[in-house]
Amino acid sequence: MKLRTRLALTLGIATVAVLFALGWAQSRWHSRMRVDALAEAAVHRMESGGRSRCEANPESWPPARGRRNARRGSPSARGPFPKPRFFAYDANYRSRNPASPPFPPALRRELDAGNDVASTRSAAHERAEVAVRMPWDEGPCAVVLLRAKGPPPWFSGAMLIPPLLIALVVIVVALFAAGPIVRRVRQLTESVRRLGAGSDERIHVEGSDEIAELGAAFEQSRQTIQAQLASLRAREVALRNYIANTTHDVMLPLSVLQGHLVSLQQRIEAGETLDAKAIVPSIEESQYLGSLLHNLNAAARLEATEGLAHYDTIDLNRLVERVVDRQKPVATRKQIALEVGVPDALVEVQGDLTLLEQALGNLVQNAVRYNRSGGHVAVVLSGRTGGWTLEVIDDGPGIPDKDRARVLEPSVRGSEARTRHPHGMGLGLHIVNDVAKRHRLRLELRETDGGGLTVVLSPGRDT
Amino acid sequence: MSNRILLVEDDVALGQQVIDSLREAGFEPHWVQDGDDARSLRPDDYRLIVLDLMLPGTYGMDLLKRYRAKSEVPVLILSARDDTADKIRGLQLGADDYVTKPFFPEELLARIQACLRRPNLSGNERLVVGAIVIDLERREVTASGNALSLTPVELEILTALARRKGAAVTRDALVEAALDPAQDSSRRTLDVHISRLRTKLGEDAKQLETVWGIGYRLSEGS
Repeated sequence: MKLRTRLALTLGIATVAVLFALGWAQSRWHSRMRVDALAEAAVHRMESGGRSRCEANPESWPPARGRRNARRGSPSARGPFPKPRFFAYDANYRSRNPASPPFPPALRRELDAGNDVASTRSAAHERAEVAVRMPWDEGPCAVVLLRAKGPPPWFSGAMLIPPLLIALVVIVVALFAAGPIVRRVRQLTESVRRLGAGSDERIHVEGSDEIAELGAAFEQSRQTIQAQLASLRAREVALRNYIANTTHDVMLPLSVLQGHLVSLQQRIEAGETLDAKAIVPSIEESQYLGSLLHNLNAAARLEATEGLAHYDTIDLNRLVERVVDRQKPVATRKQIALEVGVPDALVEVQGDLTLLEQALGNLVQNAVRYNRSGGHVAVVLSGRTGGWTLEVIDDGPGIPDKDRARVLEPSVRGSEARTRHPHGMGLGLHIVNDVAKRHRLRLELRETDGGGLTVVLSPGRDT
Repeated sequence: MSNRILLVEDDVALGQQVIDSLREAGFEPHWVQDGDDARSLRPDDYRLIVLDLMLPGTYGMDLLKRYRAKSEVPVLILSARDDTADKIRGLQLGADDYVTKPFFPEELLARIQACLRRPNLSGNERLVVGAIVIDLERREVTASGNALSLTPVELEILTALARRKGAAVTRDALVEAALDPAQDSSRRTLDVHISRLRTKLGEDAKQLETVWGIGYRLSEGS
């Protein structure tokens, strides 16, 4: 059932029910008022001379319907009803007047129960009988019985017409009044349907009532869902880019590695005797491949989060030794002296272990990779927790002044940073810079005494 | 002490490579490929355990927990995943170190040796590095059996180097151990003390190496 029909019918039914309830209550009230008025009229009539006349001629009292006395009675007795008929009885409910009806037993029981007034009505509501005990007990006129036309029944067929008419009017009014509400609900329904179909349209319902609030709630949900969708789409694009870039970046060193291996194979096939150094480029390239994957992983993690995802206490002494041990095989093959010096005292730092290890690994790897054979690389950790310095010193070709500053610029992302640069200034150093920044570490690049690059990491970077 | 090393690694090619390099380095490797098989082994039967995390049967972290409950044997994790949470959890559970894949066999050996070579920072009465013997209680030093007459500063320098046998010790650390770090001249005088020490060590002076960019190292010698 439509909202408007339901609303109109509900209001119509409620109106009929209320009108009937009011009619019933009013009927009850009228009935009670009628009994009270009759009782009052009886007492008034007997006290104002009726008693003496009754007691003087009990056999013929009341004379011929007592019209004159009744007219003089209380105003309430005159009301919209016909004049009542009076009958007198003694205290034992016997009448001297043969025309008097026998005293109704039901009224007798009520008076015997101590009531001064008792009343009854016929089932058809046509006649009311009221018995009143007079303020005196003796004599033939101690109890007076009144018979009158009863109050109209509270319900009749004719009564149906006004409530039904009113209900009809209410239904019609409700149908018209519900029109704007229904229209707004339909408008809201349409907007939500369009949203479901993928529309970006804003949901708006005018007004300040509950329907407008519902519209606002839908709009808020729409915005939240769209923001989440946008974020998901962005992540999907980022993931797709990451996979595409990774594939591209990995293919390059892989191709170089394949080239080295094919060249070795050809040289062996040609009968050439190879020494251990011949394999070094292949090993270097495979190591570069591994570190590239780690760097791409770190770059993806840095791009995905602000700040640090993990914050743990890290044993820097162990971390430095581990990073150096990782680079030692390549350094040895390149005949580069790679040394590490850590203090006896434990140096702890708070941060992301993987990112710090990657950053430090990049520094040491660059120092080894771009150094000449017979060169030196020293990794020195000194100081204590909170006041430490980590230096990666090499005597390689170094980085020109102008490029050194560029490395420390705010993180460069995207294709430029991924390109393999001659001095390891590509993705690797940008990751170092980004990681240092997130750990609030100061990163300095300076020339080593006698030539080369010294990179210094220490706590206390200004954000 | 036994040279037995337990390797728990399910990958056949990688496992064989590690086993070969361990054998070449003079260790006696014992290779287990399944986590459930590794559960029943006694960790104290080995000098060190190399543990992969992603294993069939019992997961590597659960093995680590199990081993740590019974033993203090050094455990080195081989981690294929570059995941910080895994590394931190491994270290918190009592692993001594970890090596991420891919790795060169030399790197793994270096980490194993680092785990086995725990620095002995105090308490030893005698420090022996190759031909050099330092008696800390008597404050006497011999090189190839010959007693040396060292100044207190030279003795402190040699002791600081001997305590970190085979490792490079920074100039700052040596200055702090033997000289007055507050004085600027201390760094310059360190080289003078080292020079005198080398003269007094004679033939064994080759054990006292200069390490470029760092400082000095006392090695076992050849």
